[in-house]
Amino acid sequence: MVHERARAVTGDTVADLEARGIAKRFGSVIAIERVDLDVRRGEFVAIMGPSGCGKTTLLRIIAGLERADAGTLLLRGEDIGDVPVHKRSTRLIWQDYSLFPFLNVRKNIEFGLTLKRHDKKAVRSKVEAVAEQVHLDHLLSRRIGQLSGGEKQRVAIARALVTEPEILLLDEPLSSLDAHLRIKVQSELTALQRELGISFVYVTHNQSEAFAMADRVVVMNKGVVEQVGRPAEIYNRPATHFVAEFVGANNIFEGRVSDAADGTVVVDCSHGVVRIAGYGNTIERGAAVELVVQADKLRRHQDGDDGQNTIRAILRGREFTGSQVIYHLETAQGVEVKMVLQEPFTEGEGTEINAEMELCWAPEDTVILGHRDAGLP
Amino acid sequence: MGRPGYYLRENGYRIAGRVYLFLGFVFLLLPIAFLILFSFQKNVYSSLPLQGWSLQWYDKLVDDGVLFDALLNSLYVSPIAATCASVIGFLAAYALNRFVFPGRILTATILILPILIPPLILGVSLLGLLSRLGLHGELYSIIIAHTLLLTAPAMAIIQLRLAQMPPTLEEAAWDLGANELQTVWRVVLPWALPGIAGGWLLAFTFSFDEFIIAWFVSGFDQTLPVAVYNVMIASHDPSLNAIGTIVFGLLLLTLLGAELLIIPLFMRRRRV
Repeated sequence: MVHERARAVTGDTVADLEARGIAKRFGSVIAIERVDLDVRRGEFVAIMGPSGCGKTTLLRIIAGLERADAGTLLLRGEDIGDVPVHKRSTRLIWQDYSLFPFLNVRKNIEFGLTLKRHDKKAVRSKVEAVAEQVHLDHLLSRRIGQLSGGEKQRVAIARALVTEPEILLLDEPLSSLDAHLRIKVQSELTALQRELGISFVYVTHNQSEAFAMADRVVVMNKGVVEQVGRPAEIYNRPATHFVAEFVGANNIFEGRVSDAADGTVVVDCSHGVVRIAGYGNTIERGAAVELVVQADKLRRHQDGDDGQNTIRAILRGREFTGSQVIYHLETAQGVEVKMVLQEPFTEGEGTEINAEMELCWAPEDTVILGHRDAGLP
Repeated sequence: MGRPGYYLRENGYRIAGRVYLFLGFVFLLLPIAFLILFSFQKNVYSSLPLQGWSLQWYDKLVDDGVLFDALLNSLYVSPIAATCASVIGFLAAYALNRFVFPGRILTATILILPILIPPLILGVSLLGLLSRLGLHGELYSIIIAHTLLLTAPAMAIIQLRLAQMPPTLEEAAWDLGANELQTVWRVVLPWALPGIAGGWLLAFTFSFDEFIIAWFVSGFDQTLPVAVYNVMIASHDPSLNAIGTIVFGLLLLTLLGAELLIIPLFMRRRRV
């Protein structure tokens, strides 16, 4: 389930970072075709996409490690496109943390403060304050080789934070941690971000990470932004075919609009007719559309389910994943259907392989790709 | 278990292995043991029977002064040549590792070339070149020649170490506000230090017993291998045993010192 952040997005619309028309190619390979990105002050933005979608390149462009071929980059209103990496007030956290193995924890953290003339006492107290904030104060004299993955990550964050960055960039920082630690670090990171009030731009390919932590999620594919929105928006109302496939477990049905009246769109699909509520009369009759129905919106048809969309399909297999059971089905026309049920794994009637099942879902739980709905949540 | 011959056979192999190892060490160390033994004997020729203990060859060494001065010359030339080679080697290795520039392969090849040319040819050509430049016949001629020769191996060892450095390490330093120079000084150099130490040691050892090139380019100030050669062809002199013993002792002390002082430093660093 999508965890909605309690914090309301405030009216504070001061932009921390504005990227306009960023493009980047490496030789003949296009890493980023064209990307616009806004990060408001204090916002946690997750950039999500499959590997090779350009998300890491975008992060490196913001950090100054790569130069964009086109576009402008504003940090708090200032054009930083020509500012070299070491003069930017952005900090990057690497996937492997990139700590200096020949320095101990304290020396790693104070690195950024000791590059110019500095007051040793002030550096010392700053390092100790940051170390306390990320619970490293007892490890300051340790060598990097003696730390666990989670501790290394905290050193990397402390090393960045001690320099008081205006924005923190994180490149899949949780991917080298084991699963149980990841959940813990997720909540630590969000708590830290709220406490600091600085913007985080977080790159990941993991949707549960992005949804759990971010205020807004940017879904990227092949160097372009597919959709930007709050996690619930992305999850419930995917805007493109790619997002529908990449996010969650979605069923995609192709069809043609046969009628659109009285706020209901009727689409002819290969398995039958689908009624969709909430789109008004804006869609032309005869238009080819793609429909998205989340796997957990489907359920078994029972008597009294009138006015629901129904679909008949043959059960091909069931997968027990703990709290839920995933049903893999196929219609007579060869369209794959997935259904996720929150139920105990039973061997009841109608769950034999190759048995035909009748499923249904509500008209308002259907999304038409590429079309805005009339304001449903 | 259940195979009575098993342990026996294992033991047999083990004993054979130990004997082989022992013979190998005897082969390596016996000449040195004899050198040390006869440096403290009255015998003029290194042959049995022993004729009694004496320090006379050490006396002669100090009185003659030729070999002793040559040892001091070597202890002056080799560290400087090794240091020059390590510095140039580090800079070259870093450039080749970090940058892609036109002529990169050519540069690498030219840097490696001196080690591939037979020392005889290199010695003759260096003699010609240095004398034309008015730089021959001095100790620094040997330093120049050895630096040229030893940059390649020093660079090769440093390059091995630099190649293991994750590229994000430098990026992390830049990201934290370090400029290029600070990054090289505070990140690349500490990372490469074990490689630099290894390269320096190799270059030092190379230079310390390099004879052919030193023989060509040196004048009255000789390094130890050249002086040893000159003494050997002039006469039979047991004080060669004495100088050999001194050099062996010095090297042993250095290695033990390194073992006791430097290596624990690295061990502590690497310990996980």
